[in-house]
Amino acid sequence: MSVYPRSSEPFLFVHKEPVQGQCPECGSHNLRRYPVLSEGGWWLVTKCQDCLFSLERERWGRLGSIQLLSETL
Amino acid sequence: MVRVEPPVLIKDLDEDAFRARYQCDRFTATVLSSRLRYIVQHMCTGLLTNAFSVILRDWYDFASTIAGPPELDYPTPAVSNSLVLFLGTMTDAVRNAVEEFGPQNLQPGDVLMCNDPYRIGTHVNDVCFIRPVFFEGRLVGFVNLQAHMLDMGGVVPAGFSGTKRNVYENGLVIGPQLLYHDDRPVKSAWSLIFDNARFGNLLLPDIKTIYQNLRLGENLLLETIQRYGVESYLGAVRYACDLSAETMRQALARLPDGEFEGEDFIDCDGVDDSEEYHVKVKVRIRGDRAEVDLSGSSRQARTSINGGWLDAKTAVAVALKYLLDPRSPFTSGTLRNVDIVLPEGTFFSAMPPDGAIFLYWESTQPLLLAIFRALKEALGPNAVGGDYCSLNIHNANGVRNGVPWVTMAQCGGEHGPWGATKDGDADSYMVFYLANNLDPATEAIEADFPCVVLRKEYATDTAGAGRHRGGAAVVKDTLWLTEAEHYSMPLHTKAPSGFGVYGGKDGAVGAVWVWEPEAYEQVQRAGLVGFDEAVYRQATPVAGVLNPESHTLDHQGRYFHFARVPIWRTRPRTMFRYLTNGGGGWGNPLERPPERVLRDVRDEYISIETARELYGVVIQGDPQHDPEGLQIDYEATQALRNAAASQRH
Ligand SMILES: [Zn+2]
Repeated sequence: MSVYPRSSEPFLFVHKEPVQGQCPECGSHNLRRYPVLSEGGWWLVTKCQDCLFSLERERWGRLGSIQLLSETL
Repeated sequence: MVRVEPPVLIKDLDEDAFRARYQCDRFTATVLSSRLRYIVQHMCTGLLTNAFSVILRDWYDFASTIAGPPELDYPTPAVSNSLVLFLGTMTDAVRNAVEEFGPQNLQPGDVLMCNDPYRIGTHVNDVCFIRPVFFEGRLVGFVNLQAHMLDMGGVVPAGFSGTKRNVYENGLVIGPQLLYHDDRPVKSAWSLIFDNARFGNLLLPDIKTIYQNLRLGENLLLETIQRYGVESYLGAVRYACDLSAETMRQALARLPDGEFEGEDFIDCDGVDDSEEYHVKVKVRIRGDRAEVDLSGSSRQARTSINGGWLDAKTAVAVALKYLLDPRSPFTSGTLRNVDIVLPEGTFFSAMPPDGAIFLYWESTQPLLLAIFRALKEALGPNAVGGDYCSLNIHNANGVRNGVPWVTMAQCGGEHGPWGATKDGDADSYMVFYLANNLDPATEAIEADFPCVVLRKEYATDTAGAGRHRGGAAVVKDTLWLTEAEHYSMPLHTKAPSGFGVYGGKDGAVGAVWVWEPEAYEQVQRAGLVGFDEAVYRQATPVAGVLNPESHTLDHQGRYFHFARVPIWRTRPRTMFRYLTNGGGGWGNPLERPPERVLRDVRDEYISIETARELYGVVIQGDPQHDPEGLQIDYEATQALRNAAASQRH
């Protein structure tokens, strides 16, 4: 197992990266890209922040960002 | 803009459309999805009645699921009625373990096992046993049992402790590997467990029993497929998941759009009390979609009070199921319209190797309660009060006549009250919302271990007041007859967990005390220890917010850190007392019928003083010595309630 140190920040946040474009459902330009956990595991989504419509959903790491050292064999 | 049309409801599909989607008729799909639930339940009953260790036999600390094949992405159409904590994690555990091992490497007669919290959730003692099911040479699914093993190595016998600092102290980690191949035990895998874990003589028959119940599940599933055909079976797997996705989607749509925020916390970790661990949740609802954002929550703890990312996912799914959609079965489809925004490295998404995970439910139960709190205004009368939250778990170990023994969540808090709902008063002796287990019998505890359970009863004036009363806190006293080592793990004593809803009041907070042999002899009367101040003065506080001199509950008192003594090494005739938190009330207590308040006084759920102060009901008499002679003073009650009502306006 790889090593993930404890954060020096007391409170943690998910970074939602702004994305250019327009929501096909509500027309909003407030689109963001970030990992979510849902049916089927982790997904990297591009999502409208106003109506929660997903423009894109692709698989993210099976264990989130945890990497198994054995996968590098 | 293009408004995306909501999908046609399953019940509105005509016969042809239904068959096109699920490769069978509606009746067959319904029968088959019930049949899958029957199979997992049958597997659990088989394990419960044949298990050897206390934790399986007396606690029901296991669960069973069926998962569909890899090409359908391992959907979970059926989960057992047992331990809820496992049901959510197992929907991902099977996929994660099988994908890492490689589905192409599995054969008929194999059993795969895995116990890594970062891969499959919960803690290392919970091993997930996965049996691939082949029909005519094709991998058509998996029958699975996840069960708590009495021990998995590590520095603490039986593992339960909030003081382990990393994965190396925590216990043996098993990546996905075969335990059986071609229906023969893989000796190296068994040796890996036996060479690292204590109590191998109990683990061996437990695991063999699990294996037999996997075979039972496999046989029942194969009989089913034989009779109905593999395409009907696969259709029914998808049908069951689609149905629970649909009922959750409809339930989300019934909520108003908006952002709903909630918070809860646990006291500290096992190092010291310098840092509380807070869960912050924001539930965003837009139509039939939801996003549950946990940003702003605390980083992982320095000891094994943490939970993992799959435990967090389970808590979210179960919270939404309780509050919004309790009537359809839980499946992997439950979260289809829900996205969880989960920062990694929090105390409920801890990371290896220093974010040790053991008391994972202590971190995810506050997460569940934070969602209950977030949605309580939006739900109005459908809100549900908080429960006792912390198991206040206690484990003891020692050696008697040369034979080592260990207790397993039997003599601490463990069982306690739930919160009230619109349907009525809450039960007072349950397992917390994220679990569903049995209560180990007192007779079995005293037969197996050198202890006497002196009290297991409800504590007066601890239940959250309400038109429907919350459950009362449970007080449990245990006298230890030999030398012993104790791990005590109460984690939610600084603030009430049993919050009231819809005008109901909060339940009380609990605490833990120990009386050393001399103190016990001094305060006991006919063996029992009472509840007055003189008694508590002789006690040593284990945890709780207490008056520093009298050691009685005092919200302005001092917090006693639960792990300032990591291991309590005690002499014979030492007594521990556990008091759980109380459950939250529902509705305005001034609207509770006076006759029900009278009954609560008679049954000692509340005192005459509390009846007057919180319920506005004046009762005369002596509940201790003449309980049936208690009387309501209706005139005084009316006057008191009128005065209280006018004060509120
Ligand atoms: Zn939009």
